[in-house]
Amino acid sequence: MIEFELTDKQNMLRETLASLGKDVIRPQTLAWDRQKAVDEQFLRTFYTMQSSLRGPDNPMEDFYEGKKKRDPSKPVQTNRTAVVGCEMLAWADASIMLSLPGPGLGGPPVRASGTSEQKERFFGIFKNMDDELRWGAYGLTEPGAGSDVASIRTSCKKDGDAYILNGRKCYITMGGRASWVVIFATVDPALGRAGQRAFVVEKGTPGFFVGKLEDKMGLRANETAELVLEDCRVPVANLLGGEEKYETKEGFMTAMKTFDATRPMVAAMAVGIGRAAYEYARDFVKENYMLSRPIPRYAAIVERLARMNRNLEAARILVWKSVAMADHHQPNAKEASMGKALAGQAAINACVEAIEICGAHGSLKTDHALLEKWFRDIKVYDIFEGTGQIQRIVISKRLLTDLKSF
Amino acid sequence: MISFDPTEDQQMILETVAEFAKTTLAPRAREFEKAGAVAEDVCRSIQEMSLAMAAIPEDLGGQGLGLLSAVLINEELAYGDPAAPFGMPGFGGYLLAALELGTKEQARELIEPFADPEAHEQFGGIAWSEKKAHPERPGFQTTAKKDGDSWVLDGEKAFIGNVKRAKTFIVFAQVDEAAGWSGLGAFVVNADAVEVTGMHETLGLDCAGFGDIKLAGAKAEARLEGNGDFTNSVIRFWAKYGVLVAARQVGLSRVAFDIAREYCDIRKAFGKPIGHFQAVAFNLADRHMDAEAARELVRRAAWAWDQGKKEKRALSYSAQAVAQAHEVAMRCGNDSVQLHGGAGFMRDVIVEKLMRDAKQIGLAGPTAEQMDQLQAAVELGAELDPALVLPTPEVQAIFT
Repeated sequence: MIEFELTDKQNMLRETLASLGKDVIRPQTLAWDRQKAVDEQFLRTFYTMQSSLRGPDNPMEDFYEGKKKRDPSKPVQTNRTAVVGCEMLAWADASIMLSLPGPGLGGPPVRASGTSEQKERFFGIFKNMDDELRWGAYGLTEPGAGSDVASIRTSCKKDGDAYILNGRKCYITMGGRASWVVIFATVDPALGRAGQRAFVVEKGTPGFFVGKLEDKMGLRANETAELVLEDCRVPVANLLGGEEKYETKEGFMTAMKTFDATRPMVAAMAVGIGRAAYEYARDFVKENYMLSRPIPRYAAIVERLARMNRNLEAARILVWKSVAMADHHQPNAKEASMGKALAGQAAINACVEAIEICGAHGSLKTDHALLEKWFRDIKVYDIFEGTGQIQRIVISKRLLTDLKSF
Repeated sequence: MISFDPTEDQQMILETVAEFAKTTLAPRAREFEKAGAVAEDVCRSIQEMSLAMAAIPEDLGGQGLGLLSAVLINEELAYGDPAAPFGMPGFGGYLLAALELGTKEQARELIEPFADPEAHEQFGGIAWSEKKAHPERPGFQTTAKKDGDSWVLDGEKAFIGNVKRAKTFIVFAQVDEAAGWSGLGAFVVNADAVEVTGMHETLGLDCAGFGDIKLAGAKAEARLEGNGDFTNSVIRFWAKYGVLVAARQVGLSRVAFDIAREYCDIRKAFGKPIGHFQAVAFNLADRHMDAEAARELVRRAAWAWDQGKKEKRALSYSAQAVAQAHEVAMRCGNDSVQLHGGAGFMRDVIVEKLMRDAKQIGLAGPTAEQMDQLQAAVELGAELDPALVLPTPEVQAIFT
């Protein structure tokens, strides 16, 4: 049945995060932006709150750790609930979602390709973080290979019971703090995707260290690190899925599968930031125009507001559709990319328009500091997890006959 | 729960209508266009299927399937020929106007003739637009004045679809001249009480036969006073009818996209299919996203009305859906012509018609601009000013 109402649980999640966002997070968000870190005490509290909320259908746990055994023929709500959470959390502050303790983007590949021993070992450290918060990370991008994932150069060479890894990874979210990072490397660049291997490289492994921490336009409260591998010996036991997994092209697919699951989450975050800006501009118009003059005297502004809102809604509805498909265990690569492409665009436009609507004030750090921050935060949403252009490649390959590559 | 799958019943209707659109409407779109009307045998089939009655409650002689089912039907019909629904019996705004503006008794009486599966010649007209705004005051030039127990109408109404086929009109006229756009009334007027003064050659939607009428002391059969506040009832009527029209824009967007995609698969340039060039492929991807998102927004609007969600929410959803669908259809029509290159400009290919229809449909009912004003007014919590949120001729004359 066609339906567009959130479940009671999703509404509750939404409302909880909305009030937390308004009363607790937003008042601190600018300080975090300046200190270049989400307050650790906040993360700890949030983590505890999340753990106590952990009911039978906790979206985050299910999404990242995939612990529950479910009947694959039965639809779930997990992904739909997760995008509701992602959107609201990003509405409050965009950096939190990316800084939350847990396996982060490293979760999906371990979940999708790891052996049960590996899952136990790598997810086990997140079971109890009362003593200390821990993170996982995902290392794919290199200085010379971003969108063109197939041409990564980080090498791995087998040597007895280990692989020797050499190379550099960059723009790694929480890369500096991560207890382990899923690192993609290649046995031979000439083999393309078939030569790629995914390893879980643990912090403290000799030859594995953190390079520079990036200074960014936005999402400044979230850590982005460069990682360096110099003759780093990684045990074969940390090769994700074991050696037999790589007799086919699956290494690359491991990297890509991550994106089908995470793109809708990132898209939902973009919608959340875009909505924050839209609502801000809408309230600004309410306060500064509505009482003093009739709408026809600012009809052009009103039309821009309407356009911002419906473009965000259009993006959101595609995001929802892509996760509803995931919840029904249907392939959703095209839809995930569609939601991501539309959301990035709509949200960037919303942030730009909001600043224009609020006028000079909109760009001043003192008056409308949040607007200025959202404007900086949003841009990367059309870049990471696949740029808008990459999304269009993914989509068009599924629209045109026999289009393998451009 | 968020869910995008039609029910089994809806799926069955959808497939039946899609098949009809593909085999009957699509191949004959040019024929309807040239004739300025949808062919009689097609109107007969449509009437036998009772498709126009989907959204009408059962106790009023309809099928009681809800606006959402009507949206699915309209989208699929439009996929075959987006102009055709505008020239089919019962598909105009007439039934929805009767439903929203009439009492239950009036609605039953007005709708009943359309329920007869044989009545393929049953058309109703909506006489809303006027060619010129009143020079001195807001509101229509056409007036309705009380004469004993009945109402008498004087004035000229413009851009009325199926004007020559309509047996009855719902005419909007000024009742209270001092009250501007809040002073409107709606009246049922028989075709023999009006004079058709002229027909228009239009950009698109040729098969709907748009023309003007003159009312010179025309006696109204009845006055429709709305349910609750009259202005709100009129806003509701336009919003719901807008959603049906938007569903047609979605069908148009989809077919324009599909035709372009197929063409990009087979048309070769520089040694490969043109779809294998990024500039072309990305354009297709953009239009696909557009059409898919607009489709779900339109469905959501219909769903909100069917589920009896708060009126403000349903109005906002409707306004978003209509504005988005109009814009998207224009982009899809335009790009479909563009991707065909010179061939797209020739009438051998249907895409030039789709592009013309897209623009015309954007003026057939509330426009994107008016719907944006409506949405924003709702979202800002402003009072709904009829001068702003109704498709008034002052701002934009529309086709009905």
